[in-house]
Amino acid sequence: MKRITLLFLVSLLLLATTAHGQPVRIAYLQSDIHQLPCWVALEKGFFEKEGVKVEVAGIFKAGPELMSAFAAGALDVGYVGVAPATTAVANKTARVIVLAQVNTEGSAIVVKKDGKVQSIPELVGKIAVVPGYATVQDSLFRKALLKFKTEPDQVKIMVLKPPEMIGALRTDQIDAFIAWEPYPAKAVTMGVGRVLAASRDIWKDHPCCVLAADEGFLGAHLEKAKALVRGHVKAIEFIRQHREEATKVGVKYTGMDEASVRLAMENVNYTPVLGVEGEKEYVEFLTKLKYIKVDDIQMFVNRFMKPEFVNEIIKR
Amino acid sequence: MKKEHFLLPLVLILIWQGLSSLQLIPSYKLPSPLDIILGFKDLLTVGVPPGNLLHNHMLYSLYRVALGYAIAALLAIPLGLLMGWSPVLLRMTRSLFEVVRPIPPLAWIPIAILWFGIGIKSAAFIIFLGAFFPILLNTISGVLSIQPILLEAARTLHAKEKDIFLKVLLPGAVPSIFVGMRIGIGIGWMTLVAAEFTGVKEGYGLGYMIMTARDIQRPDEILAGMLVIGVIGLLIDIGLRATESKTIKWQ
Amino acid sequence: MREPHLSLNFLDLSKTFPGRGLEEGVHVLDQVSHRIENGRFVSVVGPSGCGKTTLLRIIAGLEKASEGRVLLDGAELLQGSEAIGLVFQEYALFPWRTTLQNIELGPEIKGVDKENRRAKAMEYIKMFNLSGFENRYPRELSGGMKQRVAIARTLIMNPRVVLMDEPFGSLDSQTRNGLQEFLLGIWERRRDTILFVTHNVDEAVFLSDQIIVLSKRPARIVKTFEVGLQRPRDRTGHECNEIRREVLKVLSEETK
Repeated sequence: MKRITLLFLVSLLLLATTAHGQPVRIAYLQSDIHQLPCWVALEKGFFEKEGVKVEVAGIFKAGPELMSAFAAGALDVGYVGVAPATTAVANKTARVIVLAQVNTEGSAIVVKKDGKVQSIPELVGKIAVVPGYATVQDSLFRKALLKFKTEPDQVKIMVLKPPEMIGALRTDQIDAFIAWEPYPAKAVTMGVGRVLAASRDIWKDHPCCVLAADEGFLGAHLEKAKALVRGHVKAIEFIRQHREEATKVGVKYTGMDEASVRLAMENVNYTPVLGVEGEKEYVEFLTKLKYIKVDDIQMFVNRFMKPEFVNEIIKR
Repeated sequence: MKKEHFLLPLVLILIWQGLSSLQLIPSYKLPSPLDIILGFKDLLTVGVPPGNLLHNHMLYSLYRVALGYAIAALLAIPLGLLMGWSPVLLRMTRSLFEVVRPIPPLAWIPIAILWFGIGIKSAAFIIFLGAFFPILLNTISGVLSIQPILLEAARTLHAKEKDIFLKVLLPGAVPSIFVGMRIGIGIGWMTLVAAEFTGVKEGYGLGYMIMTARDIQRPDEILAGMLVIGVIGLLIDIGLRATESKTIKWQ
Repeated sequence: MREPHLSLNFLDLSKTFPGRGLEEGVHVLDQVSHRIENGRFVSVVGPSGCGKTTLLRIIAGLEKASEGRVLLDGAELLQGSEAIGLVFQEYALFPWRTTLQNIELGPEIKGVDKENRRAKAMEYIKMFNLSGFENRYPRELSGGMKQRVAIARTLIMNPRVVLMDEPFGSLDSQTRNGLQEFLLGIWERRRDTILFVTHNVDEAVFLSDQIIVLSKRPARIVKTFEVGLQRPRDRTGHECNEIRREVLKVLSEETK
């Protein structure tokens, strides 16, 4: 009896060490205030407190790049825009499952302060930049144009990385940009830009960033994934309850001044609850733009998003 | 075009297609040759981003390269001839060039954008940097490698400095100039695609097309685009070689 | 016929090439003086490396003498003077120019218009048996042809003095003999003044009116031979052999 117990304990120990041996590879987007829950969780050790060791395996300039890393098998979980994640999964280059929402809204279209363009229809024939094709901002921008009765083909849409957007706006090389916070806020505090339309003006409560996990990782380490989601939910609660401290974390990870970060956070709504209806709209929209081809939207979304993870936690 | 040229690539492609069909190579990592052909068809008919067709991407890229390359050649050839001819000039300018030359053209992108904005001028500038140095260095070497006895022969025929420059140095350096030009266009073409990765104003360009295909997660279009770029590079080199043999009949 | 009293005169020509660093300089010519009359074919022979080529290069203006002067018709010969032409041993043809273009280079530099210089060059092409090869490039020509082009290129300028630096040295003996006869044929019509450097005594005896023998470095003129034989000369004949023997005797003294 003693020997069996010993064997059992030893194997349990071994299992525990191997299970906890490999840190979870996590990635996020550079200077994107939407990712604040990730940074708070890292800073305050919320993942560790749930028993999961994480290591930052990548910091990316935009969603599509992060999805490429998933495709290459370099990541286990990522904080990323739901649109690039959808595109990657629909085009079968990456296999990820969305476990939780990170935020809704939190982007804005910015034009030159006192510039020629003071309304959306005036963007006809002008140059506007998005952080990448098939990003949340790309979809949002086109929705904004359509909402204000402007044809997207009539606007020159280009791609620039957000760090380059403010400089390009300032030197009049572009007429407008749409980016995630805190870039719009920074443009405003710098006196360079003016917000033409924020997320809530275009598509209220639209889903934005999500917490996605590689399918293979999810299959092999379900418990770890659940623990990560718990840590994630705790981070969001922390942001709600300790705004000032959270702002400081934002300043640390974006490298921007406190005024900009504070202004930015006002435009973002942090929530772990998945916006499934919003996702269906994305799929329809991306299909219309010919970026992806999805025949059964319901089936796709069911497979892609798993609200169970968060619902389990919230119920408690 | 000999048969042997195509044998090896054909065999490799067949093996590749076989492995892909058997699912031994996952399609999201490496699309099969068939996928790439279909992707190529999409590039031609649908375009990446949708609406921007392949031939327009090609035209814009070619135009940017032509501009940057032309300026590089127009500056580097005369400068190279002068630097090869005058040891004093060579000594004075050498250290400056030797410091700038190792800087990869791509490292200039942020500065190029500050100086020239995001448009054809900054792309042409990056290409200019890539093509300039090979042309310059090969021109200088072409001049320096002219047999001294030819210079003496010219002197015995009472050639003045101007004659020596135009009738000996220039024609004598032509083969090396061509070598430099071929290397220059090769580097220029490679640099263009990477330079376009940062974004182009007009919305067209082969590098931009590939970057977009990456954004919308279409590896088949990425590879098809890469092939287009490789083939164009090859055609440009063939074209230059043909011009070279037509011009240098004496070697 | 040229005036016989006009001539090329070099007086006390000395040349020392400066040494590198702490090395001593190389003393190549030591007070060489001689006078060559117009229309004469004069050869210079001497041990290898004695300075024959340096002598020619000084007269041609490619080197400067350390001491001494060169006079032409009593007046100082200026560097780069059009009165002097030089034929190199290695042909020195411009590879990117056709036969015709190589030959017309001199007149081209002088500024002669295209029609005239073409016509003149074609004359020389005929004269030098190069017809049919005027549009060929040097790489397509044989050694003998290349040297003919080189000589034609020099002679078209009608220099007062033609310097030739072992022009047939890189050719096989058959081609060499042929070219020697060819050169004599041309010379006998034009009577240029030729200063011909060679290390081949047979050649010197066959061609020249006068043979100058130089000592080993630093070179002085050891002896001059007048060769009064009628042309065409019998290479293997008794008289040529006599002179050859004499010259070789002097030379072998020098190479001891």
